[in-house]
Amino acid sequence: MLVAWRYRSRPRSFIQSFDPRAWMMFYGCFLFSTLAFWDVRFLLFFAAIALFVLLTSGVTWNEIRRAILFIVGFVSIFAFFTFLTGRGGVELYEQEHLIRRFEASFSILGWTPALDVTVERAFFGVSQFVRVFSIAIMTILIPYSLNPALYGITFRGLGLPDKIAYAMDLTMRFIPTFSRDFQLTMDAQKARGFELEKIGGGLIQQVRKIGPLMVPVTIHAIIGSEDIIDAMDLRAFGIGPRTWLQKLDYKMKDRILIGVGLAILLFSMALSTLGQGQFWVPPGLLALAGG
Amino acid sequence: MDKRLSSVAIWLVAILAIFAIIVFVLGNTLGIERFQTDNATLGLRFLFVIVGLLIAFAVYLFTKENKAWEVGTREVVWMAIGAALYAVFSWYFNATVFVVPSLSQVALRPAIAIPMFFGYAFGPIVGFFTGAVGNMFGDAISGFGLSPQWSIGNGLVGFIAGLPALFASRKKATDTVLWVGGALVLLATIVYFLNRGETNMMFFDPANNVFGDQPIALTAGIALLVGFVLVLVVRFAFGKNAAVGEAVIWGMLGNVLGIGFAAISDIWINGFSATAAIVGEFLPAAGPNLIFAAILVPLLVAAYAAVQRQSGR
Repeated sequence: MLVAWRYRSRPRSFIQSFDPRAWMMFYGCFLFSTLAFWDVRFLLFFAAIALFVLLTSGVTWNEIRRAILFIVGFVSIFAFFTFLTGRGGVELYEQEHLIRRFEASFSILGWTPALDVTVERAFFGVSQFVRVFSIAIMTILIPYSLNPALYGITFRGLGLPDKIAYAMDLTMRFIPTFSRDFQLTMDAQKARGFELEKIGGGLIQQVRKIGPLMVPVTIHAIIGSEDIIDAMDLRAFGIGPRTWLQKLDYKMKDRILIGVGLAILLFSMALSTLGQGQFWVPPGLLALAGG
Repeated sequence: MDKRLSSVAIWLVAILAIFAIIVFVLGNTLGIERFQTDNATLGLRFLFVIVGLLIAFAVYLFTKENKAWEVGTREVVWMAIGAALYAVFSWYFNATVFVVPSLSQVALRPAIAIPMFFGYAFGPIVGFFTGAVGNMFGDAISGFGLSPQWSIGNGLVGFIAGLPALFASRKKATDTVLWVGGALVLLATIVYFLNRGETNMMFFDPANNVFGDQPIALTAGIALLVGFVLVLVVRFAFGKNAAVGEAVIWGMLGNVLGIGFAAISDIWINGFSATAAIVGEFLPAAGPNLIFAAILVPLLVAAYAAVQRQSGR
């Protein structure tokens, strides 16, 4: 049995009011534009777009709560540890301005744990949070807003060959199903006394212990594929040029959305090429830190 | 020239044009530093790209009648199943749902066995789609950004794992691949021993405040070598079951070349030095992958063989 993503038709949704092809193109432009910047002032523009799309998507808090909490938690932890270690940012700034140094009152083998809070590390953490958060929000909304019946025709409409478009369609449909199968297999193995949370032992032992989880899910999927292959063969899949049940037509607002997406992308690339949008910290904060 | 052949040729020329645009337009004309190329080696670099594309074209030209390139109903469904499984396993094992413990900086990625197995069992096209699209969806649902070069690298893992289907003498080709792969593994390990101070950029351990900034540990540095020893053990222990040895050996070559491609591309994309890319990225990613290949791929091959015997397909 197939399990579906949590899509449902939402008549007042902004994102669902567009042709899915136009939305995917806008998403691609948004993604590459966001990746062009590290300046939090520029990134806030993309975060505002992501929040606008989220708030007008018609997806309720109950539906998306788990995904949002996971994203916020994950991105926060990631940005916090970036702030603690400064890792990643060192490629973007050369000099650090110390705000305060916290030093432990104890030493371990002559090493005293210390934390340098610098303006650059703090702002790099903030920039990273805004950047990853914007992309993650826009990505996570796709399965909630894209009608599964339109997956194939959307990818076909984006220029992929029929067979590859259909494979993409099936991939998106199978992900929630296999995720459910994985959970079921994990529960079944646990019921047999298999302690997956306590994967221990040497490296090779650890790897072997993952086998009883991966092999049944994979083989079950391959056995199940025979029914799908038979059904497709009976409908003469791949014999001639494919026709699709649904038809998509670009309307004026779809063209406008694509135009806006392309304009944002071109503008972002131009700014990035001119050296704008690189990592930035407020000069006032630098002055406070004695810079 | 038939339509399919000319289409492949056009694609390869398009790839060359993209390289040229990156180097001449983005690098030299617009002056974007990371795309700028040293003029002294520019010709040599392009020569390598052209030779690589010609090899790809020659391989297709001489094997275009081979069934391995056919994409029918079965292949379409297997592509989708492989990509979805790879995405789901990556999601579960990317420490987002439950944590597979890492040993001494060896971060474990069991999911890599999926593109290797699908490539070997169902052909290079299925393998490529499984690796590339599965990695893309896995990163998307895990909340990570997209890294196209790593998706292509993962695609190559599955693609190369599926290449034995092109050879008339599979045993001879597999033995050659075993020793070529072994030589590449040894070379990478030597580079590690000459650069032991490099940081392991693939190892993240937030609980202990480690974010890809710790010097590479011995276990991570020699993981690829350990993986190769396991591959040799599988090759000779399963001498009678040729399929198991073949799957693991071609998976090894796919892992070395595919992950190597992604890591080396980071020299230009992220501005890493060559040793940082090899020691800091390639070894900690490809090493554990090979250990998984040597253990999980034989399990999958054996289980699938049992299914084939039962179903008669």
